[in-house]
Amino acid sequence: MVGLINAIPVANKDEYKNVGVYIEHRGDDIKRSSIEMIGIGKQLARKINEKLICVVIGDKVDGIAKEVGEYGCDIVLAAESPDLAEYRTMPYAQIIGDYIAEYKPNIFLLAATRNGRDLASRIAVKERTGITADCTVLDVDENRTLLANRPTYGESTLAEILCRNHRPQMATARPGTFTPAEKEKDHKYEIVKKKVNVDKSLLGKQILKFIPKKATDLTAAKIVVAGGLGLGGPDGFKLLQELADLIGGAVGSSRPPVDLGWITRDHQVGQTGQAVRPDLYVAVGISGKPQHIAGMKFSKVIVSINKDPNAEINKISDYIITEDYRKAVPALIDAIKNFGKQKVAEAQKA
Amino acid sequence: MLNIVVMIKQVPDSSEVEIDPVKMTLNRTKARNVVNAADLNALEYALRIKDKVGANITVISMGPPMADAAIIECMARGADRGILITDRAFAGADTYPTGLTLAATIAKLGNVDIVFGGDETTDSSTGHVGPGVAEFLGIDQITYAKEVDYEDGYVIATRDLEDGDEIVKVHTPVLVTVLLNSNVPRHQSLRKKIDAIRKGVESWGINELGLKPEWVGLRGSPTIVRSMKAIKEPEHLHKTITLDKIDEVVADLVSKNIIKVGGK
Ligand SMILES: Cc1cc2nc3c(=O)[nH]c(=O)nc-3n(C[C@H](O)[C@H](O)[C@H](O)COP(=O)(O)OP(=O)(O)OC[C@H]3O[C@@H](n4cnc5c(N)ncnc54)[C@H](O)[C@@H]3O)c2cc1C
Ligand SMILES: Cc1cc2nc3c(=O)[nH]c(=O)nc-3n(C[C@H](O)[C@H](O)[C@H](O)COP(=O)(O)OP(=O)(O)OC[C@H]3O[C@@H](n4cnc5c(N)ncnc54)[C@H](O)[C@@H]3O)c2cc1C
Repeated sequence: MVGLINAIPVANKDEYKNVGVYIEHRGDDIKRSSIEMIGIGKQLARKINEKLICVVIGDKVDGIAKEVGEYGCDIVLAAESPDLAEYRTMPYAQIIGDYIAEYKPNIFLLAATRNGRDLASRIAVKERTGITADCTVLDVDENRTLLANRPTYGESTLAEILCRNHRPQMATARPGTFTPAEKEKDHKYEIVKKKVNVDKSLLGKQILKFIPKKATDLTAAKIVVAGGLGLGGPDGFKLLQELADLIGGAVGSSRPPVDLGWITRDHQVGQTGQAVRPDLYVAVGISGKPQHIAGMKFSKVIVSINKDPNAEINKISDYIITEDYRKAVPALIDAIKNFGKQKVAEAQKA
Repeated sequence: MLNIVVMIKQVPDSSEVEIDPVKMTLNRTKARNVVNAADLNALEYALRIKDKVGANITVISMGPPMADAAIIECMARGADRGILITDRAFAGADTYPTGLTLAATIAKLGNVDIVFGGDETTDSSTGHVGPGVAEFLGIDQITYAKEVDYEDGYVIATRDLEDGDEIVKVHTPVLVTVLLNSNVPRHQSLRKKIDAIRKGVESWGINELGLKPEWVGLRGSPTIVRSMKAIKEPEHLHKTITLDKIDEVVADLVSKNIIKVGGK
């Protein structure tokens, strides 16, 4: 516990080196968002010739630690104890705090997942430093200052936030924004493992039950095929699934189909659903109300299939198909299949 | 009896907030102010515990003098006491001194069993204040709770995580942040509102809290907002396509490497 005390600038910033990243996992699976953090962490570290240090905490973490190394981390700090099998704020914050005190990273990043945020500002306060929340752009300048950018005011504005005199410079980063790290063949890394004795006073939280839910993570999809009230019923989503499967996409939805029970809530895109930024967003029978647009307006290419030529979604669309979707979607599916067949035929000729 | 503190923030209602381009701060004078929505969900769980086992509920808010209206609203819903933490020195705080100031208030109140807050605000939505307060106080926390109950000294809550629901049980004292829309907040009662106005909102400043001016507000903030810029939205082609030309869409998307077909 830090007590009721102020944030404190560090006397010598040069003592603080390297980029730290906290690795979140469930069982033996590293969260995709943490692989993204390795990606951006590696990029920042290499830009200023520093090391990437990742922290892995759990019961048995050898497998994860190795995998993190293969992704391009230089030093993997692995803390093990049967008491750490499940994520709990107090012991995890304590262990990360101890690592920060020992390794003095200049920058420390976490994915802005719910457990990531649960932990992040607790660590910042412990370390008496600042933290920027939910960043979508991260960079580092020649003075090794972290340039942490986060969208604000309904995603309209990007605020650049600095932590000039306190260390480490901390940030959480929005899942689905940064490119996940790829495994690097022959990358040399070191695993520093320790068995920890967790102070019983930190284990007060009892986890009675975890009920996994099948969650569609649309934020990771490069292609989203989304349907709205215009589908007229749950069957419409079968057609969309067929299109999505054909082009390797995920199925999304506006809110009314979710409210009507045509599709589960984890598919909802928008202000009260997921915010996606895929390469391609196909909006089928969606009018484009502001609460929907808020969750997909950063899609690179937007195709709108809508009976109404004046649908609002058309204003932000690249390709506007004014048709009943029952005709347009099968036509699109056929066109893609034909295009594929032609390609194959050409390739065979050549 | 249980002592419960609910932390609330007054936020601008509309998304039409203006930004002061020089000071890089919010210009709050234009928009109508309301209690941050998730904070009302937090208050509702506090009130349910009060209904169940009896509790003293104190609502605290750090903000300008006009934020007393938000506190009165919470008292009109059933909170017993309201404290506005207000002082020029507190202005411009980032999440560190915000958490410190709130924690100092809670420490001064003493013997608090449960601290409630929202999961995040609708204005700067860091979600970092709650866990910060818990760390300053050295107590455990339950964040993103969508169901909250109290029994024999324990808070039992369901945390809503991306990949599942986690049901936890923590002995008091504990800090709980409540998920937006996780319950339906009860209405204000006219009777209670009149009582609240009669009782009034207490006002505490930096001297009452025993904090140093350089520890709080802008001066006590480790982060600074260096710049704000409009986010450019992607440009779009606005091509109208008839069904007989639908192959062109496919060809375009393939040539831009957005979809891959054939050859697999
Ligand atoms: C606080 C709040 C939060 C909200 N959050 C969200 C959110 O997160 N996500 C969200 O999506 N909404 C959200 N909404 C709801 C939002 O305001 C709209 O009601 C919703 O987005 C409309 O969904 P839609 O476009 O599917 O339906 P509609 O607006 O009814 O549009 C249906 C469209 O389908 C077209 N159509 C009809 N038949 C056919 C056909 N056969 N073929 C082709 N096109 C056809 C019509 O021309 C029309 O454009 C929220 C609302 C509020 C108040
Ligand atoms: C554009 C912009 C971006 C910002 N980004 C950051 C950032 O990245 N990092 C940073 O440290 N600061 C940041 N700030 C400053 C931040 O807005 C303030 O610290 C603010 O006081 C609290 O943050 P929040 O609204 O995000 O609270 P949250 O952490 O989202 O609030 C969670 C809960 O804490 C309680 N709470 C929060 N504030 C108060 C209060 N004043 N009184 C009583 N209860 C309260 C409420 O229960 C609330 O629901 C930013 C400010 C702006 C204008």
